[in-house]
Amino acid sequence: MASSTVSAPAAGKRRRAGRRQELGWAAIFLSPAIAALIVLRVVPTVGALSQSLYKAFPGGIIPATFHGLGNYESLFADPNFVGTIVRTLIFNVIINPLQITLALLLAVLFVQKIPAVGVWRTLVFVPVTVPIVGSCIAWGAALNPNGPINALISAIGGNPQPFLTSPNQALAGIILLASWIGIGYWMLFLISGLQAIPEELYDAAKIDRAGAIRTFFSITVPMLKRPLLFVLVADTVANFVLFVPVQLLTQGGPQNSTTLLMFDAYRTTYGYGSRNLGAAEVVILTVIMIFFVLLQFRLLREERTPR
Amino acid sequence: MTTTELPRRRSRTGTIVLTAVAVVVGLAFVLPAVWILIGSFRPNAEILTTMSPLSWHLVIPSEVTFENYVHLLVDSGFARALLNSFVVCIASVGIGLALSAMAAYALAVYEFPGRNLIFAVIVISFMVPFEAIAIPLAQQFTDWGLGNTMIGLILPGIGNGLAIFNLRQYFMGIPQSYREAAMLDGASEPRILFSLYARLSGPALTNSALLIFLGQWTAFLWPLLIVSDNRLQLAPVALAGTFGEHAADYGQNFAGTIVLTLVPAISMFVLQRFFGRLSIGSGEK
Repeated sequence: MASSTVSAPAAGKRRRAGRRQELGWAAIFLSPAIAALIVLRVVPTVGALSQSLYKAFPGGIIPATFHGLGNYESLFADPNFVGTIVRTLIFNVIINPLQITLALLLAVLFVQKIPAVGVWRTLVFVPVTVPIVGSCIAWGAALNPNGPINALISAIGGNPQPFLTSPNQALAGIILLASWIGIGYWMLFLISGLQAIPEELYDAAKIDRAGAIRTFFSITVPMLKRPLLFVLVADTVANFVLFVPVQLLTQGGPQNSTTLLMFDAYRTTYGYGSRNLGAAEVVILTVIMIFFVLLQFRLLREERTPR
Repeated sequence: MTTTELPRRRSRTGTIVLTAVAVVVGLAFVLPAVWILIGSFRPNAEILTTMSPLSWHLVIPSEVTFENYVHLLVDSGFARALLNSFVVCIASVGIGLALSAMAAYALAVYEFPGRNLIFAVIVISFMVPFEAIAIPLAQQFTDWGLGNTMIGLILPGIGNGLAIFNLRQYFMGIPQSYREAAMLDGASEPRILFSLYARLSGPALTNSALLIFLGQWTAFLWPLLIVSDNRLQLAPVALAGTFGEHAADYGQNFAGTIVLTLVPAISMFVLQRFFGRLSIGSGEK
């Protein structure tokens, strides 16, 4: 990462005693952060890993016994859990490209020369400022079968939809709500990425008589690779741990249709009081998440090399 | 802000079409938020009755009233939850900034073996999404007796990798000669950090304070896991609680949403003024 800043003459001036003293201060100044790191990150990670290898009995009177990979075996033997994993994967395969594509399209739209462009851009960003609990309440009300969305659908001649109350539509409702927030947020990163692309490239494309679509795919997208990769990874991570809408609006239902892995881990641990199975689910979720992040790094890296 | 046009010249029709799309998209995104805002200022019953069929009454109230806010802040436990949220946020910002600034200073100013490795480990581990480890951490905290305590609520907010990263970047831009001059004047290391570096780093401190503040202000999963005592609950969970209990009381729900939205906006403004002023007196000679 960043390199050292100490200039050579300044470093030369320093005495050895001062050096040792500096090391002491470095240790003192770093110790709170390292203590926080250990308590807040290392302990729960190690805790989850070890918990997932034990089996306890409800009530906690009998001490937990070592269970090896038994928790993982019983999880993967449970069709409901396998369904949850598949659902979580499908959810992510849909929501991430959807959000990023729309965020990219809007970012491109909002760097055009059009009247009052800043205003329209700000309007898209407004949902980001609403806390997610508030967004869930609003969309819960809006997607109510007797709510304004159905009123709109009826007004243009469609049939009212069950939305969150239907196992076929509930997850789509969650995707809609999450994207209402997410698109504007990721759009901002992409806009600043777009603004960093040198004008000259577009001038050159114009001289070459490249059309808008050609220009978009051979200049904008390649030049945007870094912000795109960042946004894609950050969005994926955020969506793998998406929790509030499920907890607040659907409780994983109807018929488990919105049970995503994060919510399932929560429900297993607290709803069903199964600490060890819950820990195993947390480990599985983390492994899947890391796998996807590495995969995205890989894919986008490799695409860059042939150029 | 500079704008990049792509492609350079466009026909008049093109501009009109793009503008129309921009307007429609902007309105589509903002409409639900406008609906919440207006709903919070109208009689509660009216929110339900104007939902369907579709008409202008959806966003035009028959009268403007503050009753939803009064109910929310006076009759329900929301005011206390707001206060709790404030205490947690302010404590987290205070402790978190001190912790981050100390770590950032050590990693920016001193040279020692493994410095970059420690930096990378700290930043990356605090960037792993908190939710992923929230459940095992909450179990651990409960075992340690930190359930239903303010400390339990505050602690997870104090470690912020991005705050450390920002501050270190900023500290590295401060000329080393400032520090050497202060040392010649006999200033101790903590004094150099807290009176020299901190004073010169207003914008970076504001940024980091905001990151920590917003993280705690919007936290939902963590307070849900660690607090069962209603008197200690934080605002987002309290708001969600009123949503579950009487689902028809949208007026209060919407008012709570607006309060939760406005507080960070106002705090942002206040913080920027506060830290902005601090950095004015720091002009380099």
